[in-house]
Amino acid sequence: MAIAFEHVTYTYQAGTPMAHTAVEDVSFQVPDHGYLAIIGHTGSGKSTLIQQLNALYKPSAGTIHVDDFTVTPETTNAALKPLRQHVGMVFQFPESQLFEETIRQDIAFGPKNFGMSEADANALADEMLTTVGLDASYADRSPFELSGGQMRRVAIAGVLAMKPQVLVLDEPTAGLDPQGRQAMMELFERLHREQGLTIVLVTHQMEDVAQYAEQVAVMREGKLIKFGTPTDVFADPDWLRANQLDVPRAAQFAQQLRQRGLTWDTLPLTADQLADQIAARWPAKGADHV
Amino acid sequence: MANNANIIEVKHLSYAYGDDQRPALDDVSFDVHAGEWLAIVGHNGSGKSTLAKSLDGLLPFTKGTVTVAGVTLTPETVWEVREKIGMIFQNPDNQFVGATVEDDVAFGLENRQIPRSEMVPRVKAALTEVGMAEFAQREPSSLSGGQKQRVALAGIVAIAPDILILDEATSMLDPQGRQDMLALVRRLRAQQALTVISITHDIDEAAGADRILVIDDGQLIEEAQPAAIFARGERLIDMGLDVPFPVKLQTALKQRGITPPTTYQTMAEMEEWLWQSLSNT
Repeated sequence: MAIAFEHVTYTYQAGTPMAHTAVEDVSFQVPDHGYLAIIGHTGSGKSTLIQQLNALYKPSAGTIHVDDFTVTPETTNAALKPLRQHVGMVFQFPESQLFEETIRQDIAFGPKNFGMSEADANALADEMLTTVGLDASYADRSPFELSGGQMRRVAIAGVLAMKPQVLVLDEPTAGLDPQGRQAMMELFERLHREQGLTIVLVTHQMEDVAQYAEQVAVMREGKLIKFGTPTDVFADPDWLRANQLDVPRAAQFAQQLRQRGLTWDTLPLTADQLADQIAARWPAKGADHV
Repeated sequence: MANNANIIEVKHLSYAYGDDQRPALDDVSFDVHAGEWLAIVGHNGSGKSTLAKSLDGLLPFTKGTVTVAGVTLTPETVWEVREKIGMIFQNPDNQFVGATVEDDVAFGLENRQIPRSEMVPRVKAALTEVGMAEFAQREPSSLSGGQKQRVALAGIVAIAPDILILDEATSMLDPQGRQDMLALVRRLRAQQALTVISITHDIDEAAGADRILVIDDGQLIEEAQPAAIFARGERLIDMGLDVPFPVKLQTALKQRGITPPTTYQTMAEMEEWLWQSLSNT
């Protein structure tokens, strides 16, 4: 099991009149090399939840397991350093955190901070630059000469240079154009598939959830109100709309055809899944029209 | 002199940033018809935002002419032209000037020397129009992204310009916020006979336009109605747009040997076609 939350609660300013419980009694499990999407309306507790994954917030109650690490309210800060290397966090608009003079220095900053030699860290930086789809010729340039999408790649390379096994992404495609969004999601998919990284993705993009996630957690007012495969979670479009969540286009479309009397084996979530089911029942005479 | 039907005429517009060899805008010409919704699309760095800024006199273009409601844009007429145009940018945090929401909406009116007795009811009416009246005394920084853009729209409503330019104004909002904002712009447009120019890479925003201009490498490469643009299928990605769902589904069906009757179908047309084809079996 890569991640397990057991009855996790997090309260801001506990014990004061300002106390506010942002995450309440949340339990779920993500298998090794899993891909979890967390969805929910703004203010539902998604960000608080993911910041417990590397113990930026320790739980107020409950236990969190991440691979071999265990975090409880009693865990000391000293014990958390290896966990923070193990779990890479990509916050919203991570490019705003770039600060070094060259791209290589920026990416190498984390590994050097964790004790790696300058030469090794620089070599690693060049390797990570290639991983995120920018060639090594960028290494000596200033990160501030790049486009927004390229700067975000550099910031992500900096996180990957820590060689995390779990990658937590908070709306990683916000503000990018469709081409940039697609390239970014394909990068994470490649890291997941080829390097076995466990991915935790917070997003408003239901098409991405349908296409990439293996599990989906739905948060509302700090509580986990649904957890399952994308097929489970998107099975009830009316429930999703009642919770102010979008439904993937393919599922919307399939539901409209269902209202007219067509039945589906399972609710299709992507254009490819829908086309598969349509092709399977396409009348043979259709071939004449091709 | 501008044609009556054209509220904006752009002729041979060129612009280069600093000593950049490659122009950000390269000989761009087009008209905007009074009352239409025009979408301008293009991938990041294509020059579409430069174009929007040029129309409002925010960038001193090097060559060409821009005429807005019969007034040719020059350093002398720039303020006259700006009175006719309201702009909303991508990041609402960069466009607030007031300490409270109502101060911010009043700012444009103060600039136009509207007397206070008239200003107060206009600010109130504008905030009511966008559903933000109860936030009048709040600090702008305490609002959500969607609320901030509604306040920015209230500022536009208060000064009632002829033209509204949205420069990726919905790109930082969540899906609900984006839909709310577009619905609001559509309503305002119907009420106030606004001409809307939206610089966007949101497919739904572009789909609602009367006409789409495609900018690439600083040049206007295409001008057509949404249906014609959306028929380009996967090439839409190169234009900075997403592929609309009916087109994605068409592509997926073609890969499986099923050819649709026309090159572009709306969701409703596609539903009808599939229903007809599948229900007869």
